[in-house]
Amino acid sequence: MVLPQQTADFLTSAAPFDQLENDALLEISRKANLMYLTGDNQKVLLEQNHGRLFLIQSGQFSVRDAEGPVRHLSEGDYFGHAGLLDKVSYPLELTVDKPGLVYSFTPQAFEFAMSHPGIADFFHAMRSDVLQNHAVAESQSMWLYKGLGEVLKGSPISMDVTESIQNAAIEMTRNKVSSLLITEQGRLAGIITDRDLRSRVVAKGLDIHQSVQTIMTDKPAMVTQNRTLFDAICIMNEHNVHHLPVIDRHTRQPIGMLTTSDVVRLQRGNVLFIIGELAKAENLYSLSRVSWQLPHYFASHARRPVDFDIAGKVLSQATDMMTRKLINYFQRENGPAPMPYSWIVYGSQAREDQTMGSDQDNGLLLARTPTKGEGEYFRAMSEYVCDGLAKCGIKLCDGNIMASNPELRLSLDQAVEQARAWVLQPTPEAIMHFNIFLDARCAAGDGDLFRKLQQARVPLLKQSLFLAALSRHANQVSVPLSMFQKFVYEKRQEKANCIDLKVRAVALINNLVRLYALASGLTAPATLARLASLPAGSGLAVKDAENLRDIWLFLNRLRWRHQLTTQSTDNLVSVDELSSIEKHQLKAAFKAIDRAQQAAVMKFSGGMG
Amino acid sequence: MPGRLFDWFRLKHWFSYRATLPDAWQQQRLFEAPLLAIDLELTSLNPEQSKITSIGWLEGQNGSINLESAYYRVVRVKGDLQQSPVIHGLTPEHTELGEHVRDSLNALSQFARSHIWVFHNASLDVRVLNRAFAANNLQVEQVVTLDTLKLAMYQLKKTHELLPSNSMTLANCRQRMGLPAVPAHNALDDAMATLQLWFAQFHQLAGRNSITIDAILHTRCINVVNLGKKCKRGIDKVS
Repeated sequence: MVLPQQTADFLTSAAPFDQLENDALLEISRKANLMYLTGDNQKVLLEQNHGRLFLIQSGQFSVRDAEGPVRHLSEGDYFGHAGLLDKVSYPLELTVDKPGLVYSFTPQAFEFAMSHPGIADFFHAMRSDVLQNHAVAESQSMWLYKGLGEVLKGSPISMDVTESIQNAAIEMTRNKVSSLLITEQGRLAGIITDRDLRSRVVAKGLDIHQSVQTIMTDKPAMVTQNRTLFDAICIMNEHNVHHLPVIDRHTRQPIGMLTTSDVVRLQRGNVLFIIGELAKAENLYSLSRVSWQLPHYFASHARRPVDFDIAGKVLSQATDMMTRKLINYFQRENGPAPMPYSWIVYGSQAREDQTMGSDQDNGLLLARTPTKGEGEYFRAMSEYVCDGLAKCGIKLCDGNIMASNPELRLSLDQAVEQARAWVLQPTPEAIMHFNIFLDARCAAGDGDLFRKLQQARVPLLKQSLFLAALSRHANQVSVPLSMFQKFVYEKRQEKANCIDLKVRAVALINNLVRLYALASGLTAPATLARLASLPAGSGLAVKDAENLRDIWLFLNRLRWRHQLTTQSTDNLVSVDELSSIEKHQLKAAFKAIDRAQQAAVMKFSGGMG
Repeated sequence: MPGRLFDWFRLKHWFSYRATLPDAWQQQRLFEAPLLAIDLELTSLNPEQSKITSIGWLEGQNGSINLESAYYRVVRVKGDLQQSPVIHGLTPEHTELGEHVRDSLNALSQFARSHIWVFHNASLDVRVLNRAFAANNLQVEQVVTLDTLKLAMYQLKKTHELLPSNSMTLANCRQRMGLPAVPAHNALDDAMATLQLWFAQFHQLAGRNSITIDAILHTRCINVVNLGKKCKRGIDKVS
């Protein structure tokens, strides 16, 4: 059987079959049909292809292939998989909205394809309509999880066992290394180190013309190149060695040597290192110098999805650190503050999901109404800190949501009064204005003062009329999917086919989760923390909460990767940047957000979206 | 010419089509008819000299293409490949390894009675096939052919007095039907693309599954040909 090029081209562009090699594509195409499905012939054709898997190449169709709502499908979408997975013959209802080409594959072909784990995951995930549930590793130290293949530089420095001790020493000197890999027929046989030359040769007066075999450490502790730096450090600690040979998993040939000085060098790329450097900065100049390395740090060290998961948190922590430092510098010059205050951060910094493009959103909470002189002190401090943050690369806020704005320096009483005003008149314009203040966190100053404000706000912000207004507001922006599940792209952008993942997706989840959190009286601002601490009876099922968490992480990974790979600070992710499987996941994510929005409107505003 | 006389000619013409369709195909429902979409890649567009460098086909029926029926052979060619290496990517290294064209023609003969042969621009491919069958001492009679180019012309002439240039290429015909762009100039892919085009045209033309072959004779896309020893005998010549 020959596979027409257009079939191969299409299948290799369609997730999840893009994971298959040519032979496997031939196998699944066995007894496959390509039909031109029209309103006139669909009844006949679907009967003839009963029990098969369908993949749409062109056209638009409304399909119901299992219990559940009608799905509007187009290019790249599947139907019929539910019945194949459940081994149930569901009735297939299909309306042709626009005729087009549809592939059908046999149940045998489907079974064959499902033997590939990636494909099985894909269809199971699509069936349960959730994204792959990537467990989120709580990793504070992404550098430790770098693959050894990525860590080692240059070719291995090695020598055969038959060579003399002197030649080994010459080779080590020439390459300026402190250890040497010894091989026997290409495979790793042992290692020698500077210390071996000292203690086993010089100290004992050994003949330097003997073979290295006599002094090498044979069967040394070793690690394969597919492991991580973390694994390697564990092995080095366990065996108390400073030199660890890295070998190929299959051929057992040496690939390089990892040394403790390599580990120290790599650690400098650690984010904790950067935060540590920030903490050490003694003045604005050195603080801003270290701060400007942050984008570089992320660009060179954040590669894997779990890195992106904590990147926002790291950036927020770094911003907090800068803020505290700046306040400290100010007070060093101007004396301590005349009364307790809290430096409050809002929006993305409060939620700890900052990205490179996030600007500063902050304000000041004062223990009481200041006198003129005290007010002057806080004005000067706020201006100093906001300008300082800008010098450190955290942009000034276009909307003037900054402590340097006198309206955002409120006393505790004023702040509580302000919250009461929000609740009394939650007009759409008002919500637009105060929405950002609903995610708040104390980044510096007096934490107790901020907690007092929160305690006063909790009962106000959980009032049902207020939540109803918020839920209607949360429903105003919908996900960028057309009726036929095609992406709707941003208009008037220079880049083609792009979607603002912040505005069109991440913000929608943040809005939804905020609603449930306020209703439950939670004060934590971070979206993931809110999801994790929603009590039973919050109205959001555990499964839905987990689903929203996964989607949030997925979207966050996409926008971080976008920013790092395209070296931009916007959230305009082009669909061309996504793999085929990510496009499917993104659509699934949008659909899930849409459902969650509908559910929230039902719960909080009685269905009056 | 007086209108009535003109009508009479048209009527006569129309009857003549009907008369020359082989009996087995009379009243055949198009939707259910077994189809074989064929494409030849040639060394040039001159039907009197051109040689076949590759041949591909697939079977279709009921608006669907059976992928397992896909056939593709590179044909051994002696002499100048002319434009073929440029257009189809077939170089002398390929074509020297190819099979004798007779093997493909023999395989093709098996479909002569059972299938409607679908081409895009049948006149060229049929003339080349005719020469090839003759040269190999092979013969098939009463093959019904369907030309998607003729049909596209019929459909486009409804709206255009003069056809825009290039409007009849396979890619452009497909585009008008809303079919996706596909790789061109490989015999199998072009055959597959042609069959898809026919499905889309059929949908636009008639749609209903009960339409018979007789009902589209007026579009001039159907022809009956003999390939091999005897001269090609088109329906037009009979009438």
